[in-house]
Amino acid sequence: MGLFKGALTLRRYHVDGELPDDFRERFPEALDDHAFKEPASVLHAEEVVGWCHVHNLLDTSFAQPADRQRWLYNHYLVAGLRVDKKVLPSKLFRAHLDKRIAAWCEQNQRNRAPASVRQEMKEALEQEMMAKTLPRVQVHEFCWNLADGWVFFHSTSDNANDRFRKLFRNTFGLGTTPFSPLDFLTDLPDVAESLEVQGISDYRPDGSDERGWT
Amino acid sequence: MSGQRSSDGGERSAGLPHLTVEFFVWLWFASERDGGTMNLGEPIGVVDVWVEERLSFRAPEEDRARAVFTGENTGSAMEARAALAAGKVVRDLQLHVRREEREYTVTLRGPHLDLAGVKLPPHAPEGEDELLYERMYLYEDLWYVLGGLYRRFALERVAPAWRAQTLPALRHWVATGEIPEAAETTEASEDADDAGPSVAP
Repeated sequence: MGLFKGALTLRRYHVDGELPDDFRERFPEALDDHAFKEPASVLHAEEVVGWCHVHNLLDTSFAQPADRQRWLYNHYLVAGLRVDKKVLPSKLFRAHLDKRIAAWCEQNQRNRAPASVRQEMKEALEQEMMAKTLPRVQVHEFCWNLADGWVFFHSTSDNANDRFRKLFRNTFGLGTTPFSPLDFLTDLPDVAESLEVQGISDYRPDGSDERGWT
Repeated sequence: MSGQRSSDGGERSAGLPHLTVEFFVWLWFASERDGGTMNLGEPIGVVDVWVEERLSFRAPEEDRARAVFTGENTGSAMEARAALAAGKVVRDLQLHVRREEREYTVTLRGPHLDLAGVKLPPHAPEGEDELLYERMYLYEDLWYVLGGLYRRFALERVAPAWRAQTLPALRHWVATGEIPEAAETTEASEDADDAGPSVAP
C-alpha cells in the first residue's frame, strides 16, 4: 500500500472543474454506484473494474457513515481502483483441447474433426476452465486532495491510468488533466511560452545548437 | 497560455516530451556543476540534489530504455556521459534530494513527470489519519522542491546564456567530464531568488 506504507509510484493530475458543495452527500453514493462488484457468473471473462477501499480490496461499501472514515481523511479522498480479469493459461488450454479433439477423432474414426466440432469443444472447454480459474486481481490506489484540486494515481501504466480517468469521470462527474511540467510555471507565462518552443539541445560534443525531435 | 490548465493539457504535454528530457539532462549536469547543492531562492532555500543510483537512456524516437546505468557514482560515470555523446536522451533518472533534514529518493520519468519509487524520509506518526497526512505532507514537500528545480531549469534554458555558455559547457562536460569555470554561475541562477514557486506546501 503506497499511500500508507512503502514507496510511492504515481502520475499526477489536475481535477478539472469545481468540487460540488454537497460532495459529502453526493460522493458516497457515487462511489457506491461505481464500486467493484463481483460478476454474477463465474464464467464472466470480461474485465471488471470498480472502486474498493485501500485497506482491503474486499471492502467496497462507501455510503455507510462508518465507512466514511476509511476513505475520507479530512481533505484527502483515498480509494483503490480494482481491476479483475480472468485469463486462461493458453498452453494448458491448447493441450486440453488437442487431447479432446484427438479423442473425438479416435472415437469417430476420422483423421480430422470438422470446424463446427472443434468450435463446440473449444467453447465448452473455455467455460469449464473459466469456472475453475481465479481472476488476476490488481489494485491501484489514488489520493485526491479536494482542497487543492489535484489527484495522484498510484501507477504509471498508461492502460491503468486510462481506466482510472474514465471511472473517475463517470463517478464524480469531473475530468482530469495530466500534469505538465509547464504547470510549475503558471506565474511565469513568458518563460513557459518561450520554453515550449525550444527544441531539444544537442549535447554531442560536435553537435549544433538544437536537433529535431521525433 | 502556456503553463495553464487546459482540457487538452495532457495531450499537449505528451506531445512535448523534450520538456522533461531536457530537464533531466539539466538536473544531472547542474548537480555536477553546482557540487550537488543548489540555492533555489526563497521560500525553498538551499537543497542538495544529486543523481543517485540509476540513469537510463533511450534513442530519441523510442520509448524503451537502450542503456541503463546503475550503482554508485552513476552521475559521474564516463559510460553514462558517453550515452549522451552518442546521441541518446535521458529516459529516467533517480535523484537524491535533501531539503533541511528531510531526504528523498525519487525516479523521474516521462512527459508528465511521473514519480517512481519515491522513498520518503523516516516518519512514524501515531494513527492512520496522521500517517496519511504526514506522508502527503512529505510528498508535497518533494513536489515543491521539484517545482523549484524545474523553475530554475526553465529560467536557465530560456536565457541567452544557454547557447553562449551553458550548452558549450555541457558539451565540454559530456566529452571530458570537466566543467569549465565560466559555466559555474549563470545569469538565470542569479535571477532564481526572485522566482521561487508560488505555492508553499
